[in-house]
Parts: sequence; structure tokens; C-alpha cells
Amino acid sequence: MAMERELLRHIFRKAVTLRYPFKDKEKVHIPSNFRGKIAFYRNRCIGCSMCFRVCPAEVIEMIDDEKGKRPMFYLDRCTHCAQCEDVCPTKAIELTAQYESAGTDRSQMILK
Amino acid sequence: MLASEIRELLGGRVLDIKVQRTRSIFVTVKAEDYKDSIRRLAEKYGITHISTMTGADSGQTIDVMPHLSYGGMKITVKAAVPKVAAEIDTLTDIFPGAVMYEREVHDLFGVGFKGHPDLERLVLSDDWPRDVYPLRKEYKVIRPEPIRKA
Amino acid sequence: MPEFSVIIGPQHPALKEPESFTFWVDGEDVVRTQVRIGYAHKGIEKAAESRTYIQNIPLIERICGICNVAHTVCYTQNVEYLYERKIPRRAEFIRTIIEELNRIHSHLLWIGIAGHEIGFDTLLMYVWRDREVVMDMIEAITGNRVSTALMTIGGVTRDIQPELVAKLRKGLDILEKRTEYYEKVVANESTVLVRTRGIGVLTQAEAIKHCAVGPTLRASGVRSDIRADDPYAAHDEVPFKVITTDMCDLFGRVVVRVYETIESIRQVRYCLDHLPNGPIRIRLPNTPPRGESVSRVEAPRGEDIHYVRSDGTDRPSRYKVRAPTLGNLAALVEMLTSKGDYKVRVADIPIVLAGIDPCMCCMDRTARFVEPSKGKEWVWTWSQLKKYAKER
Repeated sequence: MAMERELLRHIFRKAVTLRYPFKDKEKVHIPSNFRGKIAFYRNRCIGCSMCFRVCPAEVIEMIDDEKGKRPMFYLDRCTHCAQCEDVCPTKAIELTAQYESAGTDRSQMILK
Repeated sequence: MLASEIRELLGGRVLDIKVQRTRSIFVTVKAEDYKDSIRRLAEKYGITHISTMTGADSGQTIDVMPHLSYGGMKITVKAAVPKVAAEIDTLTDIFPGAVMYEREVHDLFGVGFKGHPDLERLVLSDDWPRDVYPLRKEYKVIRPEPIRKA
Repeated sequence: MPEFSVIIGPQHPALKEPESFTFWVDGEDVVRTQVRIGYAHKGIEKAAESRTYIQNIPLIERICGICNVAHTVCYTQNVEYLYERKIPRRAEFIRTIIEELNRIHSHLLWIGIAGHEIGFDTLLMYVWRDREVVMDMIEAITGNRVSTALMTIGGVTRDIQPELVAKLRKGLDILEKRTEYYEKVVANESTVLVRTRGIGVLTQAEAIKHCAVGPTLRASGVRSDIRADDPYAAHDEVPFKVITTDMCDLFGRVVVRVYETIESIRQVRYCLDHLPNGPIRIRLPNTPPRGESVSRVEAPRGEDIHYVRSDGTDRPSRYKVRAPTLGNLAALVEMLTSKGDYKVRVADIPIVLAGIDPCMCCMDRTARFVEPSKGKEWVWTWSQLKKYAKER
């Protein structure tokens, strides 16, 4: 048997599994440039619609508000590809490190 | 240059040769000369590997394009068949590995391959109707509006 | 003795992905095989014709989860060849780094799966624990563990910062030590040797005749690797060895993949040492010129070839993908047929299937129910389909 020494070494070690989400939530390490939930900064948006044109999953719908045209995001369709963040000329869209983005109600998952 | 060698080898069968970039050549021939040209190329350069076979809808015709490869060189031979009663010779006696690729082009474009040992369905399901070919341009994609729960 | 047929698939515990095999058996020996694929058809080739080139990048990435880097590199390269523009050298090096990290990830995953198919679950657990190191490295560079989304037409989207390079080097050292340990395990462990030597034999002549690709071809003694024959990205500068063996059986494929992992670790180290300075992308216009182009890369499973035809608009007129597993299908049928002294037993079927490293989702991506938008599924009954066909 070729793996005996490895196995013997591991008898006295702890398991590597993290018991997320019950106990080890703070031990989950997320890097800062993780592609998580979308955050939108309204004051930087100029209404150019480039994000709408590059989104592959039809997440973005352009609507009008008091300051002009702006995107509205249906987050349940998002695939976190980050092309909207990439193409935005004023950095108004940012993909944060928030990884818990599941929900039970589709109407709650719209970013206005 | 390989392009001028190929033109000399195949003579009048060549309709067009285009060197797309280094190590990639596109040769256009007529459908009648298709198998003969490929046999000559395979014998002269010792080609044994066919990478894949592409079908493409160009309006009135369907282009059948086997991609051959030897060393690092890619030679694509293009032949156009008419859409109605589309038929062309099989390459399975020269390249036995082409069985799957010809089945795929037959399944999705409706091109018949004369002499193929096992021209069955490859990727479409068994209850897909027999004369509907999804990758032809007539088969339009229905893209419904996304359901927005606002 | 009368023959009877055993059907394995589409759903079966021995298979990771759906495909249907019908084996005609005589006692315990397999006499003939028939393959039926198409259960994971997604309609990607037809869907790519109704989306712009930029919108197609995530679509092409989702052809396969494990080889997503190979498909996106091939796609972006293909479109860049249409423009006839070269991308910056730093972008080519970053593409090579991510591609080789993806290859390490895929081969480590495969070694674990091969162990699982033999019944050697200890190997599976330990190799997959070490795979976490590679996934953390990819996450640090790209933002996600498996689906990288780093490529764009004209270069790459994110840069590798100098602080990150030290962390990557540490990860590479750990991986190299562990992979060399697994190399000793597979060479000496009697479970592995008994279950893989002399099984799934594909001679060199048969491999060439049936146009096999990838490690399946290289384990039969053929020196064929797209990175050496038809170099792309930074492979014309990064030195590496093409790994071949002449064992022609399943054990040869295991050995080829283990040594390829070690070569990939060395290639990433070279790229990190010689990363040139400069920009990481160029801006290209939305519509490429008319024309067609073919591009190939060496995915972890073999040769991946894409073809694009552009008619001057911002959507491709035809996009064709041939994933490497389809190239190995004809060779697989050959491997699973008993002839002469070479007998294939029913108990060997799962490990031989796993030996070509099948990725059925890569293989089936041509059109079925063409429904490109996500989140909505629809199933037609037979009468609806007939009605639709009549209307056409």
C-alpha cells in the first residue's frame, strides 16, 4: 500500500471541512475581487446603455427616472460574468464580494 | 509556399485558395471534385487526421468543410452542395475517424453522405421530425420575452 | 452462447454525465458497442448566431464547466484572427497562466475520478483536497473558483498584481510536492496497477486511424500536441515537454496526465518569472470584417477546434465548436470491443469510459430545443412539435 504514511499522519489531524453555514461562517475566505452581487452607484451613471448591450442574460432593463436613463437589474438572472462592470465607462457598476445571493421571492431580487 | 503547391497539385479543380494566416489555408473546390481532391492531398502530404467537419448555410447552398490537419498545418477544403437534395461523397474510406462528424452534419443540415456505413441520428432526439434541420437559416429561433417579476 | 445486450445509460451510477451505451455481451466479455449521445444538447451553436460577439463570450464559456478556459481562449482568438490584430504580449502570458492552471485543475480532478471508478476512494478524497489549492489560486486571480470569465475580445479583463505573484508561487510549490507524491502512488499502488494495466488498449495504428485526440492519443505513442505543433498565446516562448508513453492502455493515460500536471506547474512558474510589462487589452470595434477563421487550442481533454464565419454584422453568421470528447468517441468504441486475445470485461467498462476523460456537456452542444434565454424552460409534446414542423 503506497498511501499508509499519509493516512497515519492524518489520524491525529482535524478534518479540513468547514461547517458552513452552521459554525464556521467567519472562516470562509473570500478574496476582495470576488464576483458577487451587483452594486450600482446612481450618481456615477450617465445613461449610455453599454451595460444593457453587453449583458448575455438579459438582466438589465433601461428605465427613466428623474435624472435620466439608468439600468435596473433583475438579479435572479445574473450569471456574475462581470461584463457590465468591465464595459461601464464611469465605474458605476461594481461586483461586490457578497456571495450569499439566493432568495425565495423573485420580486425582492430587483436592484433599483 | 504551400498554397502554390496545392494549386499545382489539384490543377483545375481549385476554385479559390485563401491563406487566412500562418498555418491555415482554405481551399474551395466543386462538389464533384471534392473526394478526389481530398484523396490527392492526403496521399501527397500523408494526412491522417481530420479535426472536424463543419456545415454552414450560405443562402442557396450548404458548404461542407472538412478540416484536415498534419503537423501544425490546417487545410480546410470547402465544397458547396445545393440545399434541395443535398448529397456529397463520404470520406470514411480515407479517414475512418470522420464517421461521427458526417453523422452530425447529416443530422443538423440534412446533407446526405453517399457510402457512409451508419448514417443514423447523432445529436437530435429520436422523436425529432425527419425533415426539420435546425441549423439551416430557415429554422428561426423563437426567443420569448424574459419573465420580469416587478 | 446467445448474445444479449446490456444498456448502460442515460442515467446510471457509473456515469457522471448522460450518454447511452449498448453493449452486446457474451458471458463477461463485451463483443460490440453502440453509442448514442445527445442527451445534454443545449443549442449553443444556434444560440450563438442570435447574439453579438461580446454577448457570446459567457455563452461559449458555459459549454463546459471544467474546460471553460480552453473554449473562451479559442473563441476570443478566433475572433481576433478575423480582425487580424495581435493582442498585447502581457495578455498572452496571462491567458497561458490561467489556461495551465485550468489544466492542472482538470487533471487533478480526473485522477480523483479515476480513483473513484476503480473503487479507490482514498485517492479521490486526498487529490480533491489538494485541488482546493488550485481553485484558491484561480479565485485570487479571476474572482471565481471554476468559471473564470477572464477573456475578452482584445485581451484579458483583469491583471495579476505583483503582490499576488508571491502567493501564486507558494501555491505552485505545494502543488508540485503533492503531485510528485501522487506520481509515486499511482506507480506503486497495486490496486491501480491491477485495474489499469492491459485495460482499454488502443494501439498506435488504431489511434491514428480513428483520429483520437489528447492524452488518449499521446498514451499510444503519438507525439501530437497543439501547444507544440501549432502554438498560440505564449506557447511559442514557454518551454515544455510533450509527454508520450508507448503503453497504449489505461495506465499510460494515467501516467500521461500526471506528468502533464507537473509540466503545467513548471510552465506557470516560467510565465510568472517572465511576465512582460504592458497593457492587458486593446479596444476593437464591434463588427469584425467579413471572413472566416479556424482556431485550435489544446484543452485538457484534447484538441478543441472552433470555426467562425462573419458576414460583416455584429453577430456571427455561423459558429462551430468541436469539443475534444467527440474526437475520442470513435476510438472509445474501438477500445470497448473484444477481439482475438484482447477481452473487455463488463467490470472494466466504467474505468475505460472514464479513461478518455469524457465531458459529455462539451460534446453535445449543438442545436436541440433552441431556447437561448436563461431561466425559462419549455417542453413540447409530440403533437405540438408536429404542428410546429407542419407550419415550417
